[in-house]
Amino acid sequence: MKLLSIDIGSTWTKGALFEIGQGSLKCGVRCAVPTTVDDLARGFFAVAENLAGGTIVDQVREGRLELAYSSSAKGGLAVAALGLVPEVTLETAKLAAYSAGARLTQVLSYRLTRSDIEELQRNPPDILLFAGGTDGGNTDYVLANAQALSASSIDCAIVYAGNRSVADEVGDLLRGKNFLSVANVLPDMSNPNPDPARSAIRGVFLEQIVKGKGLDTIVEATGAQPLPTPYAMFEYAKAIREHVNGWEEFVLLDMGGATTDVYSAHEENPAPGTVLRSLPEPVVKRTVEGDLGMRVSAVSAAQAAAPLLPAMGLDASDAETLAAYAARVTLAPDTLPPNAEEKRLDSLLAGACVTQACIRHAGRASMVYTPDGDVRVQTGRDLSAVPRVIGSGGWLARAGQFKPSAWLSQFRIDEKRRAVLMPGRFEYWRDEAYLFPLLANAARLHPRAAALAGIGALTRSE
Amino acid sequence: MNEAVAIVLGVIGADCHAVGNKIIDNVLTREGFRVVNLGVMVSQDEFIDAAIETGARAILVSSIYGHGEIDCDGLRGRCIERGLADIVLYVGGNLVVGKRDFVEVEAQFREMGFNRVFSPSADIEEVARLLREDFHAGVPA
Repeated sequence: MKLLSIDIGSTWTKGALFEIGQGSLKCGVRCAVPTTVDDLARGFFAVAENLAGGTIVDQVREGRLELAYSSSAKGGLAVAALGLVPEVTLETAKLAAYSAGARLTQVLSYRLTRSDIEELQRNPPDILLFAGGTDGGNTDYVLANAQALSASSIDCAIVYAGNRSVADEVGDLLRGKNFLSVANVLPDMSNPNPDPARSAIRGVFLEQIVKGKGLDTIVEATGAQPLPTPYAMFEYAKAIREHVNGWEEFVLLDMGGATTDVYSAHEENPAPGTVLRSLPEPVVKRTVEGDLGMRVSAVSAAQAAAPLLPAMGLDASDAETLAAYAARVTLAPDTLPPNAEEKRLDSLLAGACVTQACIRHAGRASMVYTPDGDVRVQTGRDLSAVPRVIGSGGWLARAGQFKPSAWLSQFRIDEKRRAVLMPGRFEYWRDEAYLFPLLANAARLHPRAAALAGIGALTRSE
Repeated sequence: MNEAVAIVLGVIGADCHAVGNKIIDNVLTREGFRVVNLGVMVSQDEFIDAAIETGARAILVSSIYGHGEIDCDGLRGRCIERGLADIVLYVGGNLVVGKRDFVEVEAQFREMGFNRVFSPSADIEEVARLLREDFHAGVPA
């Protein structure tokens, strides 16, 4: 039996044919074509037929060929997150959206202003995730926001995951909109509950967004449903944690042209003497940095790189050179660096993306001197002892010489003099064959085999 | 659905005295309040964040280590800034360093905007009774 896995990316549609063995997966032929943005199905079927050696529809329909595919094309899954307090329900809503494979287009808190509404009307997301208030908690802001949305011309899908006490009133106010209500992302202050919102976002993706992106013709022809690529990757990270011995704790970096995604698998067990503040975080966490990327986001990545360069032994002229290079490659996202200097600049961009993304993903700790002695106060997760880091995405997959620890080890203290709890000493493993997105699809049907195959295919780089 | 009145509880500042906090939580929960207990080492903004999200009608601040004056100063102003002008604020514990007359300490913390001030020997059931009274009155003292 064979499994066909295809990932429709924003620039390339990539595929591989896997041989399914007894609890194992073996990668066979692979193929990639430029993504056909006007009709995603065309590129999809070109890859599928090339790999399967002919038409696939009958084979899939008759169960002779397994098919799993994902898409991040046409801007991926664009979600706007609305919460009440930024550090509380907005933060929970953001994590729920990220875990559903979304890219956040807007983050909104407290009361929606007229400009907020206008901005949502001008640049509508695919989905608005609407949170606010714990169950039995605040209703004023939530109802005011529902009223503001009701009076607007916003017609994207709205997923309500806020205070349950007013869910019915919110539903009444948003009657006639594309509206769906699920359990609160934060029913009480100590128990975040992102999964119902996450499932709802996935459901909306399948029922509505797939069609908008032109993936519905693939669904109709094959009977198989796609996932947002990062949703599949999130599930894949969970599968690795669950099925591969010794890989209970790791960080996965997935760096592309437009974003840098960080996934971490980590169970927080604060040491005695540590006081853990902030909301509890999930075991597997994903964050997405939309301003950090190697091509489309190179200009903002170069800006994020500038403050890091002095610690890396570089000076202001390097920052200028990097900014100029970033401006050039943003205009021509297909650029591959032909000479040594450009390769060096790509490495700097990559180092900065990885570093800033990890800094933003990881927690913080500081020592507080109290009358009863020193206490370590921690917010967020402590990834400093995570033993393994994986690099995936086109550039990291290829970059055999790139050493993330050289970067991460330089930025252990933030501007508020707190410890940055990102990985420090770790083994660095590279997804050299760039199989992770394809294995992530395969993991939907064969989680254990795909997890083992992915870890088995990594190359130790550090 | 829990329709009980929410109150936010926590130990402010760099204070990590956890035992009294748990006792207060226990008693006030039994008294029928929905206690949102933030535990120890809570900042002013964390109290306010939690109060906004949970729709709490009161914030109960504990301070045991003697630095209550510094930690609590400005909390009322911050509540007003963040839209909680009418929230009931209680404070209790060993609020100041050294032996000072409680009447004086009480006046000082009321001046800071706390509706009620409690000494370390306060009876928590009495605190519950006063909370109900203040909620019923609807207007902070």
